[in-house]
Amino acid sequence: MDLAYTPRQQAFRQEVREWLAAHVPAERLVTLERKDGFDQHVAWERELASGNWGMVTWPSEYGGRGLDLIEWLIFEEEYWAAGAPLRANQNGIFLLGPTIMEFGSDEQKARFLPPMAKGEVIWAQAWSEPGAGSDMAAIKTTARRDGDHYVINGQKTWSSRASFADWGFGLFRTEEGSQRHKGLSFLLFDLNAPGITRRPIRQLHGDPGFAELFFDEVRVPVENRIAGEGEGWKVAMATAGFERGLMLRSPGRFQATAARLMALLRETADRASPGLREEVVRLWMGAQAYAYNTYQVAARIMAGGSIGAEASLNKIFWSELDRAMHRAAMHLLGPAAELQTLPDGSANEWLEGYIFSLSGPIYAGSNEIQRNITAERLLGLPRVGAG
Amino acid sequence: MDFRLPPESVELAEAVREYLAGTHGPDVLRRLDAGGNRDLRIWQGLVEMGLTGLLVPESEGGLGMTLLGGALIARECGRACLAEPLVDTALVAVPWLIARGETDDLAVIAAGEKLVALPHAVNPWVADGEGEELASVDPLRNLVAAPEDAGDDPLLLDLGALMSAAQLVGLAEAMLDQAVAYAQVREQFGHAIGGFQAIKHKLADVAVALEFVRPVLWRAAQAMDDGLTSAPLHVSHAKYAATDAAYLAAESAIQVHGAMGYTYEVDLHFWMKRAWALAGAWGDRNFHYHRIEDAALGGAHPLGPQHTFA
Repeated sequence: MDLAYTPRQQAFRQEVREWLAAHVPAERLVTLERKDGFDQHVAWERELASGNWGMVTWPSEYGGRGLDLIEWLIFEEEYWAAGAPLRANQNGIFLLGPTIMEFGSDEQKARFLPPMAKGEVIWAQAWSEPGAGSDMAAIKTTARRDGDHYVINGQKTWSSRASFADWGFGLFRTEEGSQRHKGLSFLLFDLNAPGITRRPIRQLHGDPGFAELFFDEVRVPVENRIAGEGEGWKVAMATAGFERGLMLRSPGRFQATAARLMALLRETADRASPGLREEVVRLWMGAQAYAYNTYQVAARIMAGGSIGAEASLNKIFWSELDRAMHRAAMHLLGPAAELQTLPDGSANEWLEGYIFSLSGPIYAGSNEIQRNITAERLLGLPRVGAG
Repeated sequence: MDFRLPPESVELAEAVREYLAGTHGPDVLRRLDAGGNRDLRIWQGLVEMGLTGLLVPESEGGLGMTLLGGALIARECGRACLAEPLVDTALVAVPWLIARGETDDLAVIAAGEKLVALPHAVNPWVADGEGEELASVDPLRNLVAAPEDAGDDPLLLDLGALMSAAQLVGLAEAMLDQAVAYAQVREQFGHAIGGFQAIKHKLADVAVALEFVRPVLWRAAQAMDDGLTSAPLHVSHAKYAATDAAYLAAESAIQVHGAMGYTYEVDLHFWMKRAWALAGAWGDRNFHYHRIEDAALGGAHPLGPQHTFA
């Protein structure tokens, strides 16, 4: 075990820090859940790409820098410490990108990855359906084969980024009459294709972040299928692993929140109860623990290991940590917590963050599902009921 | 930067786990509880494994391992609910003596012929010491009243706290295993109770707590090995988090066992009682909390993602 950064890693941190200091927008962007804010965030993605920072771990031929996971963690740490914007590109670079890297053909990699890294194509995910939420194997939307195309009919919902994104990916039933995990395929589709209707859904905060998608005889070329026909479940599970595991929520984000929370506690120390004070210190410890754990997992993956069902432990931990940190901030703010703009004139980012944090334990597989996975696959407790 | 446990330490820990699982099961704990509390044959087995010399330099007949390697073994001692005073002598006293340059007794300690029970002002007792006896909730813990002139050496405190945290992690892991094993076989309403989500989710929460305390423990041990000035903060984090994980594991395990859990018949009580005892040893939760708050909130320790390994 060696817990010191190498001179090369330190130099890399410095390079990231300097670039971000020169490029992160001084003015906070409008929320990416609104069209004007989304456009600002896409412009930021392209700015990142201009510095070759779109996705640093990818090979250079796909628009990356070929860096390892430790360097990615350093990049993320600096990114969130610098107060840089949320990533409009996140569904692409953290979920679909690794999926294509693992299961895609060379043609698919060359076609989809570079525009993803450059922020030229923004991706939305399309998993859930009205009758298939936590129980994703209940998917009903069909993709009927017609020559060299699939023809999609049905409905997806809670589709993140889909109000404004360019392309989508999801699971569709390609075998007529198939049941549950069988007969599903993983397809990529143009959100502007004829027959797709997007209906933005107003979220808790009032803005239309996600959308319902209606498919009416939507034609998708067969070459847009990732992996074999009927292998969609396997591919989707790998994607879900990326989502719950290392990639989606790097520790830098939560450590930055924890540091801001500690600063807020110092400012409000004269009114914070002893219990709230200890809670804040505990949450900072939690963010540290999450970072140590991630470095341990990263070291294991770099040595040829993998992340399996432990990804569920991660997802439970970071989502509940994030919610608890923002809840503590709401209590520290007290009567100002409800204000959209704080008395000092700044936007109430804690309120916005608290509202967003409530989605964490729900998306990417609800934490109840994650606890089932933990109990059944890691602890070996029996499965009852769900098939 | 490589946050992987050293393979040779992991291998040794696995060998110790296997050895203790085979020779130091609940039946042994019951026998010790019925009379004697200590058993020279158990001690001799530990000596033959080389465990008394774990941290003793090779030149003095030991294995010369790091504190990280020692913490891995302390965790196994917790998992087995080992009663013999191996951790206090071999993993707390030895590195403290080495740091002070007091090396005269090391070879004798490595040979298993000398126990060292060190008092510290933070503890109102000395474990396995000489003097006026005190009764612990843990029937296998032998305490005497601390001398009034006990010192308050900070390194000794950190060593004791680190190795207590490691044992607490092992104790918690063992309690989770016991609860899972019980939930797999105990049937109600026609099913093993482990199939019910109320049980699954309770035990999943223990698994989550443990997953995120282990790396804190390893990080604290490595900080001590590296001689970081921040090591006391990391040790306190490990002790505080391990204490909470052990209490959570104990309360969850007894709940899953139902009324059986509230009996002296079920093995669980040995592990719970050791956890309660060690939670207060070498600085209790309050003590360690204040050290963390002073460092992290007081401004002495830099915060933020760029300082993860400060």
